[in-house]
Amino acid sequence: MNFKSKVALGAAATITAALLSGTAMAEPKVLMLHQWASGNDAASIAKLGEMFTAKGGTWEQTAIAGHTANTLAKLRADVVAGNAPAAVQLKGPEIAQWAATGGTADMDELATTEGWDAVVAPELLPVMKPQGKWVAAPMNIHRINWIWGNKAAMESVGVAELPKTWADFNAACDKAIAGGKVCLAHFSADWSDATTFETVVYGQDIDLYRKAFVEGDVDALRSPEMIKAFDQMKLMVSKYMDPAIAGRDYDTAANMMSNGDALFYIMGDWELGRLVSLGKTPGSDILCGQSPTDWDGNGFILNSDSVVFFNQNNPDFQEGQKLLASTILSPEFQTVFNIAKGSIPARLDVDLTQGFNACQQQSQAELKGSIEGGTLVRSMAHNMTVLQKYRGAMMDLITEFVNSPEMTSEEAANLMADGVEAQM
Amino acid sequence: MSDATISSAPALDLEAGRAGRRHLISRIVIYGLLTFFAIIYLMPLWVVFFNSFRPLAEISANGLIAFPQSFRLDAWPQAWSEFCIGGQCAGMQRYFWNSIMMVVPATIISTAMGAITGYVLSKWKFRGSEIVFGMMLLGVFMPGQIALLPWAFILGKIGLANSVYGLVLVHCIQGLAFTTLFCRNYFVGIPDDLVKAARIDGAGFWRIFYRIILPISPPILIVTVIWQFTGIWNEYLFGVVLNSGANQPITAALVALSMSGTTVRTYDVMSAAVLIGALPPLLVYFFGGKYFVRGLTQGAIK
Amino acid sequence: MSSAGYAAMAGGNSFWEKLKSWTPIFVIAPAVVASFVYVFVFSGWTMYISLSDSTLLPTYGFKGLENYASLWANRRWGVAYSNLFFFSGIFVLTTMAVGLLLALLLDQKIRAESFWRTMYMYPLAVSFIVTGTVWQWLYNPTGGIQFLVQSMGWTDFEFALTTDRKNAIWAIIITGIWQSAGFTMALFLAGLRSVDGDIIKAASIDGASTFRIYRKVILPSITPIFLAVAVVQLQSAIKTFDLAVALTNSGPGISTTFPATYVYDLMFQRGQIGEGAAAAMMILAALAVVLVPYSMYLGWRRRREVVHV
Repeated sequence: MNFKSKVALGAAATITAALLSGTAMAEPKVLMLHQWASGNDAASIAKLGEMFTAKGGTWEQTAIAGHTANTLAKLRADVVAGNAPAAVQLKGPEIAQWAATGGTADMDELATTEGWDAVVAPELLPVMKPQGKWVAAPMNIHRINWIWGNKAAMESVGVAELPKTWADFNAACDKAIAGGKVCLAHFSADWSDATTFETVVYGQDIDLYRKAFVEGDVDALRSPEMIKAFDQMKLMVSKYMDPAIAGRDYDTAANMMSNGDALFYIMGDWELGRLVSLGKTPGSDILCGQSPTDWDGNGFILNSDSVVFFNQNNPDFQEGQKLLASTILSPEFQTVFNIAKGSIPARLDVDLTQGFNACQQQSQAELKGSIEGGTLVRSMAHNMTVLQKYRGAMMDLITEFVNSPEMTSEEAANLMADGVEAQM
Repeated sequence: MSDATISSAPALDLEAGRAGRRHLISRIVIYGLLTFFAIIYLMPLWVVFFNSFRPLAEISANGLIAFPQSFRLDAWPQAWSEFCIGGQCAGMQRYFWNSIMMVVPATIISTAMGAITGYVLSKWKFRGSEIVFGMMLLGVFMPGQIALLPWAFILGKIGLANSVYGLVLVHCIQGLAFTTLFCRNYFVGIPDDLVKAARIDGAGFWRIFYRIILPISPPILIVTVIWQFTGIWNEYLFGVVLNSGANQPITAALVALSMSGTTVRTYDVMSAAVLIGALPPLLVYFFGGKYFVRGLTQGAIK
Repeated sequence: MSSAGYAAMAGGNSFWEKLKSWTPIFVIAPAVVASFVYVFVFSGWTMYISLSDSTLLPTYGFKGLENYASLWANRRWGVAYSNLFFFSGIFVLTTMAVGLLLALLLDQKIRAESFWRTMYMYPLAVSFIVTGTVWQWLYNPTGGIQFLVQSMGWTDFEFALTTDRKNAIWAIIITGIWQSAGFTMALFLAGLRSVDGDIIKAASIDGASTFRIYRKVILPSITPIFLAVAVVQLQSAIKTFDLAVALTNSGPGISTTFPATYVYDLMFQRGQIGEGAAAAMMILAALAVVLVPYSMYLGWRRRREVVHV
């Protein structure tokens, strides 16, 4: 090697070193805004923080408890102040809305390198890349259409298995009442009422669900099929739930089922985390199954938590966003996080035989079945379909219906359609 | 208490000889009613206070309203330094100090500015000063939701977004309407001749303020300070929305407690936390309350 | 007298003296400017936004009155507005009645007056968030008042206001009264104490009974205070927010939605900043309906007093 090339090599080395140290000097940092302020949720998000820190990042978070409005108000105030947080827990159509404002970061480069398109559940892709570019990283897939049953309580009134159809459900409930039990544990809040109602609509008529709750079609909201769904809901509220649903909290409702006062509970799979912490074994003493459907095959109402990235000027935060996104989509995080939270990984290539329980394994199998059968839908109640203004109008009406014995199903369907129409 | 001596009550004892029995009955009725209202008023405080010493198991067994069967202090240190709020298990402590850092300067500055503005608007009137006063007064009625986004924008522009100083600024300006109103109405009652005489003696703007106005202002300044202190301490909308994470005031923590969605309610620790959050303004009221009515008499309502 | 007039009186003619005569204006200028920005720029901005196409973030495309039309077509807004009327009416009247009663009781030369007074006034020091949280416990059917009375033996007793759609607003009314009757009491007491003692003495020497003196002499002379208290309470009713959020969070269903909570929901939860701003303007309009006549009355009274003096 001659002197010249030695110099050239040395220079190249120096430049490379400088470049390397340059990137090394950008310390990955992130400030994440989310609403998982307590309990299981907080524990799950703390795991993300730990993994992020272990990979050399500096983790900071703002957890805003309570109403989603507080989180969104905070986000809006930060964006208006020109101080957008690096990462925000946001979901559904809001991701598209924020992407349309031009404030979100482009994560395509990382997505291509890591091949996200190939592994993430296809139903999530339009949500995470609303304008064709990745702006968000999905953390999990929650299933909404679960029915949980207390096996001992069911046996005590002569119900052998979880109801498959709404007719089965009503029959089982009549047995429960005859046996002196509450059939369906419930607590009334806009989101829990809407959760139950959307499983009814979905189970009765999947096309109606799509038209009304995914497309926000006013005629579908007003249709005789919707009135029929309200009839079923009315029956459940007036007869199969107990009268004290208003003002009860999530815990009390969940306990009613797990301690056997009530037979069933219709609730998303975050319920699993609770059951495990109560020392129950999901799948044996507490049964889990697809909420009733009047059609055959697997059904899946999907909800997904995701983290959206907002444009940052500081290279430390840009690095931090990449590291965070990569961490979130890593199979390790998807496993650890979802075991704790009750949901299943947003990546379909994660093996659930290790650490996940029977219900979670069932969830993943039925998700795949549902994708094949063309029955997979996103959840309206959990803000995965229509814009907030339409969803708000629907939820207002549904929760009002649950709390108003004198409102008829026809009135409810018409008022819901009017409410949505007023927002158009 | 000197207040009793300025009572407007007609001298009931004049009638005492004629209707001693009627007097006794009316006394019983008066104290009976006072006691009845006092019980209603004290009940919530009593409930939280006792619950902060009752073990959780006992609360769930005997209900929220009951005398303690056993006594333990654990809830207090837990609420202060261990309780998990907003994903961080460091208790109310840091929120408490944030609130102190916010409320002390904001109260002092807004009271001082209100006193000076009220002084000018009452004793150094200029053309249009009544209109200026009227317009400033409108600030009293502004709903907070309107101001939220504009404040976020302004604080972002001047680099005070997400800081305790930002909240100090917001509260100073929002409080001006109240502090100016209180002080101006009080100062109007000070005879103009006092000021005129001082001017003839050659006293200037500031001298008159320090030598004549301030020495007779404590009653209204106390009202203003109580008003501002409790108002700022208890405000939550701006605290939650404008600040995040480590910079939030104590009301943000209280909101987080009151709406802790899907977790078990730890009533004992929550009770202690609620009391910690309410303590400073309560102390201010307990010690300053007696000046409040007197100050109001002299200034605020006109 | 104007400050310029004072300067002339002092006989100063130099530039320095002139500058000094402007001191008061310089001194209050920052406070006045800040207040004006707060009141006029903020509400002007909100008004413009209410006419704009803003959704997720404030934007400035003009779309006229559409937001208002959509707001008034909304059922929940109807619920909010009728709640506001119902709540305001009862809240204002009851806080005034309770406040006046307490003030009259305290005015009877009672022992340890400041002790009693402090008890009725301490809720004022507590935030609506704390009040809401604690009262929520009291209303809780499975641990609060209902549970207490039932466990004392009256098993049919029902007191579950917050969980009953039709009665939940009463929970907010009762809690609101508990929180702010102390304030009306303080204002009334201040009023009673400001009545000229000589008039009262004269009346009692004439042999009038206590009741008569209150009815004929004291209360009539504090009518302006009644009006002031009513206005103060009414404007705080119109702005009701914290309490409704902490106590019922607009539920059960949408039954306890208030205009201010709905504004917040629209602007922040639902990403309809334009319509939220329109709702906020309606709150301002409601405030104006209360305040404009009141300030006109105050102006009229002031002029009349000047004439009389």
